[in-house]
Amino acid sequence: MSEPKRLHPIAAVINCIKQLKELIIPFLVFVVFGSKNGLFQLFASLGVIVLVLIIGILTWLRFTYRLEDGELRIEYGVFVRKKRYIPFERIQSLDLSEGILQRPFGLVKVKIETAGSSGEAEAVLTAISKSQATIIQQALSFAKDGTSIDEQEVVKDEKETILYQITPKELFLLASTSGGVGVVISAVIAFIFQFEEIIPYEKVFNGLENFISSGVLVVSLLVFIGFLVAWAAALIGTMLKYAGFTVKKNEDDFIITRGLLEKRQLTIPLHRIQAIRISENLIRQPLGLSTVYIESAGGSATDTESTREMLVPIAKRNVITTILSPYLPEYNLETSILSAPRRSLKRYLFRGFVYMLPIMAVSVLFFRPWGYLSLLIVIPAMFLSYLKFMDAGWKVDHQQLTLRYRTIIRNTIFMKRNRIQSLVMKESYFQNKNKLASIEATVMSGSGGTGGRVVDLEKKDVEGIYEWYSYTK
Amino acid sequence: MILEPQKRISKKGLTVWRISGAMHSFFAFLVSGAAIALTIIFDWPGWIIGIAVLTFLLYAYLFIMLLPTIRWKRWRYEVRENEIELQHGVFIIKRTLVPMIRVQHVDTQQGPILRKYQLATITVSTAATVHEIPALEMDEAEELRFFISKLARVADEDV
Repeated sequence: MSEPKRLHPIAAVINCIKQLKELIIPFLVFVVFGSKNGLFQLFASLGVIVLVLIIGILTWLRFTYRLEDGELRIEYGVFVRKKRYIPFERIQSLDLSEGILQRPFGLVKVKIETAGSSGEAEAVLTAISKSQATIIQQALSFAKDGTSIDEQEVVKDEKETILYQITPKELFLLASTSGGVGVVISAVIAFIFQFEEIIPYEKVFNGLENFISSGVLVVSLLVFIGFLVAWAAALIGTMLKYAGFTVKKNEDDFIITRGLLEKRQLTIPLHRIQAIRISENLIRQPLGLSTVYIESAGGSATDTESTREMLVPIAKRNVITTILSPYLPEYNLETSILSAPRRSLKRYLFRGFVYMLPIMAVSVLFFRPWGYLSLLIVIPAMFLSYLKFMDAGWKVDHQQLTLRYRTIIRNTIFMKRNRIQSLVMKESYFQNKNKLASIEATVMSGSGGTGGRVVDLEKKDVEGIYEWYSYTK
Repeated sequence: MILEPQKRISKKGLTVWRISGAMHSFFAFLVSGAAIALTIIFDWPGWIIGIAVLTFLLYAYLFIMLLPTIRWKRWRYEVRENEIELQHGVFIIKRTLVPMIRVQHVDTQQGPILRKYQLATITVSTAATVHEIPALEMDEAEELRFFISKLARVADEDV
């Protein structure tokens, strides 16, 4: 496949739509604040649209890719012509996804990630046929293993095993306990404020007064319905996003597929896994449910600053172990975690109190008498601090360091010694007096780092971890 | 108790920190001066002058005398065959371990003050973190950079 190939024409449409989407805001500004002469505006905007269309088509015409000499060669650019050659060995992963526009034509979008590309993909093939994508995949694995394509195919078919597949019940649980509800509510509020000037608030408020006089019950019912709707929207959003979540394993990759409207496929090479993180949010924890993430180096980044990929969206703790341990035998997920000593509780509580102090001080000083209500914050703050204390913990088994800590969500991070980039032991004057210390371990994730930090552990323990990590015995 | 790292950074580093502390303090001086001038012009109560002077003195004492001294005393490092160990921090003592095989690259750098005193700062980067040893003698820094980069080259795993 050495002759240059174009993307499917639908790529031009997708690009145009993307361009136009970005133009919407400047366009609105232009229309709203523009001159009174409607004709000029009409022509100008039509001109812009035509320009976008032409550029979109030209971009598509100019964009070619080919596989040649063990490289993926892409040539593109309308005014400035660019060539980008990516050697197969440098390609870390291919990220296949099917958007709404790709699906009817049986096309896929292929993102090509190299180790250096942080955030944005090194190259994106917006729309190519599935068979083309398979050819690229095969060429890649051929270049990496040296096995012939047919052999590879056979081996793959045999070795591919399904690790995990989400059940409808789990999907519902996942969606109903996710934090997405808050996001939707704030989006609705933000949206309302956007149109502050358009919505006749006075009328609405007059209406509201009538409402209120007609009974508190009605108002609270309406508020309740509003929340219910927001929750349902978040629910549906999350369910669409994670529907059909499947984790497969072939020879040395995890392959994650998910999504109903927009299908995503993600490949995580096992040897690039840096750490495993188990998170339990405040709603899921009492139900005994948790989420497993993989921190991996490079690869397809969904959020820019770290490549944290969900491996098991929601499951009971013991189920997680049964699912994962055959595939990640080097990680011991059932380790017994050692807690912080009793005497560090007062430091946890004190810290929780100190963080709340400014908020309370400001509200008490400036918003009397209602500001006194802010003193009530102490109760949840103390409760959270207590939880943080209870959850702080560590364990070293053989080559694995496990740290457990809570921000609001409880995190347990499992790291191998040879994946930890650096280890920091901290002790302040007061910690030293109490024979306490903090520990912080960093592993690589995406282009940056992530890790765990546990404060106020027994100093002897922290020193033990430090010695365990040290290469000088 | 594990032994703390042995090597100290250059004594001249202390001087450099004092100088940059003095530079900060100049801004503190300007602010206090402005406060005093305003107090005199607008006839504000006299205690403001007192507080302004005290603040400035305290600031200057902290940033020229006390903090650089503690910082310098605390700063220790050790570059061994297989790892780099750092210890620093004024109020919170931080001890960091960076295994040699995790080191991706080493830089030395110099600002104008450091250059005047023939000093340099070494920056050690891993795939996820960046660590700094400030104010080393220039030839020592150069030597260390070669040493680290030579050792770091040995291992090349998947990050």
